Amino acid sequence: MSFLHNYIYYIGAFGLIFIGLFIMIAKRNYIKVIIGLSILETGVNLFLIAVGYISNGTAPIFSKAGIEAENMVDPVPQALVLTAIVIGLAVLGLVLSLAIRLYKHYGTLNLQEIKEQRW
Amino acid sequence: MRKIIGIILLIIIAWGIITSLQEMPFGTSRAKVADHYINKGREETGAANIVTSVVVGYRSLDTLGEVTVLFLAAIGLGAVLATIKRKEDRDTEKASLILSTGCRFLFPPILLFGAYIFIHGHLTPGGGFQGGAIIASAFVLMYLGCHEEKKINETGSIISESLGGLVFVVIGLIGLTIGTRYFLNNFLPKGEFNTLLSAGIIPIIYIAIGFKVGAELSKIIDLLMEES
Amino acid sequence: MNEMINLNPVLLIVVPLGLAFLTPLLGLISKKIAKWLPVVGLLFNLIVALAILPHVLKQPIIVKIAGFAPPFGINLVAGPVGMLLATLIALTGLLVAIYALKYINEGAEQKYHILFLLLLTGATGVVLTGDIFNLFVFFEILCISSYALVAYLGNRAGIESAVKYLIQGSIGSSLLLIGIGLLYGQFGTLNMADLAKQIVSSSDPSVFVPMVLMITGLGIEAAIFPLNAWLPDAHSSAPSSVSAILSGIAIEVGLYAMVRVLFTICHVSNFFMFFLFLGVLTVLVGEMSAFSQKNIKRMLAYSSIGQIGLILFAFSISTHFGVTGGLFQMISHTLGKALLFLSAGYMIYRTGSMEISSFEGIGKKMPLTALFFTIGTLSIIGLPPFVGFSSKFLIIKAALAKGELLYTILMGIVLLGTVIEGTYFFRVIQTIYFKGKDVATERNDSPIVCLISMSIFAVLIIVIGVYPHLVMKILNPAASELFNSIQYIRSVLG
Repeated sequence: MSFLHNYIYYIGAFGLIFIGLFIMIAKRNYIKVIIGLSILETGVNLFLIAVGYISNGTAPIFSKAGIEAENMVDPVPQALVLTAIVIGLAVLGLVLSLAIRLYKHYGTLNLQEIKEQRW
Repeated sequence: MRKIIGIILLIIIAWGIITSLQEMPFGTSRAKVADHYINKGREETGAANIVTSVVVGYRSLDTLGEVTVLFLAAIGLGAVLATIKRKEDRDTEKASLILSTGCRFLFPPILLFGAYIFIHGHLTPGGGFQGGAIIASAFVLMYLGCHEEKKINETGSIISESLGGLVFVVIGLIGLTIGTRYFLNNFLPKGEFNTLLSAGIIPIIYIAIGFKVGAELSKIIDLLMEES
Repeated sequence: MNEMINLNPVLLIVVPLGLAFLTPLLGLISKKIAKWLPVVGLLFNLIVALAILPHVLKQPIIVKIAGFAPPFGINLVAGPVGMLLATLIALTGLLVAIYALKYINEGAEQKYHILFLLLLTGATGVVLTGDIFNLFVFFEILCISSYALVAYLGNRAGIESAVKYLIQGSIGSSLLLIGIGLLYGQFGTLNMADLAKQIVSSSDPSVFVPMVLMITGLGIEAAIFPLNAWLPDAHSSAPSSVSAILSGIAIEVGLYAMVRVLFTICHVSNFFMFFLFLGVLTVLVGEMSAFSQKNIKRMLAYSSIGQIGLILFAFSISTHFGVTGGLFQMISHTLGKALLFLSAGYMIYRTGSMEISSFEGIGKKMPLTALFFTIGTLSIIGLPPFVGFSSKFLIIKAALAKGELLYTILMGIVLLGTVIEGTYFFRVIQTIYFKGKDVATERNDSPIVCLISMSIFAVLIIVIGVYPHLVMKILNPAASELFNSIQYIRSVLG
């Protein structure tokens, strides 16, 4: 049990990462690949947040006078995740716009059928 | 075949990561850098929200990069979709009166809430990106609910996104010329802790980011809505 | 001292960013201004970089952003390597931007120029930063703008290759981010010097795994075999000015980041044999694929893979000589390949085809462009008196100085790659000058602006080729900065 207690968040995060990676490797539909990419990015963000957690931690905000600094979680991963989310969003927007263009050119989003560029 | 290769590859990565994770059990004590931020962050940046003091204070160059990435996404999206012919008429049903009135009613409070979030970024959870996202969500609501008046003001969005970015850069450059002469140096007085007018340049930068992010996300949504 | 403050290296990143933010605003006033902004921004960068360069040869400048000392704040490390590459980026970028003044005349031009400027800003950020997460952010700026630029023309090939590039690139950046997260979880810092100080050995699994993840992530951008599947498509479908930057700057910045992780952060000492073989393999795969191409841009793209392999090979020799040779080869490849793509760009534009066979007789139709193309090929092959000769010679010397049979054999294989390279490039030159019927064709050379930018590349290739010690003065301290991580740690953390 203690193993689960220690690692459950990491297992969840890496579970998402592996699901996302597997979808991106195995699936041939572009939209599914995009979904895989989002799952992968969510997993990475969760992992970063989990890295910074400490047991019974609180948010690192001194909103009232008597708040102890003792139990605050690590603020750095939260800042990193904020950046990572924005980058993920930018990539997602670009990927979707490419999907629109791809569909207009080929009439399909199946990457198996879109193979004009070859060695 | 592809799937088998994928699974084998993932098993290798998983095994590697498991061995690596044994060094860092979950929920143990904070790292040295984080301790410094939590203990000294209040004096050094003047922000009550330590995440904000990291995002806009200690790691402000990351934030500048982040703003640039979003700007890039909006520009890149425009470049990719630029040469497509726009489809003007689509078979869409007009929204019912209740829906469109409701959206119009909700629009100003959502904008106001977004502005609240980014103005109070140094005091409460939230900040420029979150506030900007809320503002963009108000525009999404308008697109979905009030179909006939879906245009955002293009000039307005260009001005607010450019000015938002320029304010960030110019404040940084001012810091380079006065005071301790560091880029993005917090040259304004820090004010009284935990009040709205505190933390020097942090609220100004967050307001600029809020405008910029709001404008850019709305623009991305606008571009994608017109094409689909 | 006062002068040093005025010329803060952070300006190299911030001023182009500010210009990029300003562009849409100026676009409301006049549509013509946008194309001059990359020229202005990069000219500024070039001047500032050249002014800072002599200072950093003695001692690296550590720029603390917002005044927080490392490891607490982000810092830029303007050492010899960083400034050398920043100067190279500004120079190449400036010349390609001048070329693009005339070359880019369709599509959303204003957006092209913003993306172009930001791509180079991202590259400058990557080579200057001293923080691993900041490196990731600038790396993403570089990658996202290159995805958009590959798709810029909006034709079938462009969109398809951008899709491939984007999918593979974003897997790479996710792996990089996981690696950074693992390192932060163990060492509690993101500063590269601080990480380097705390990491004792790279064979410990807790360091080895994040290192492999980061190397894989960066290797996708650097197009190391077997992660190079995206490169030939992306480089051949982009507009030629973009291909020049992607081949000349983007992949080399990826390789720089990789080498920085290997040498400075992880102090790798025992895996170099692996990278040595990987480099040789990349050379062979790249050159052999290039040999069988009929499309000029695909051929150049595959040749870039071969060159990257050669640079990786030089770094993996892991002696001071080898690292110097690798850096020198980076410079010569950037200059040579950028010149080749630029000249090929107008040859394609005039003939309307990318097939090599359609270039028959172009040596008479576009004599200057063909001449520049020839200079580029000769330099890439490594013939004297061009710059490619000096750099390849240095690498050979470094491999032989190692004094082991294995290195000599591998060097022989790499030279075989060079022979293949020579064969296919001479085939193109033969087509350009000696094939085709001898009809008097009208002279129709590239526009004058483009010829100017190409001629500066050609002059640089010859001048540095004849006087290699001009750059050796910078390369030596640069190599020792890259190779000696203790010196790096001391200069950052004090």
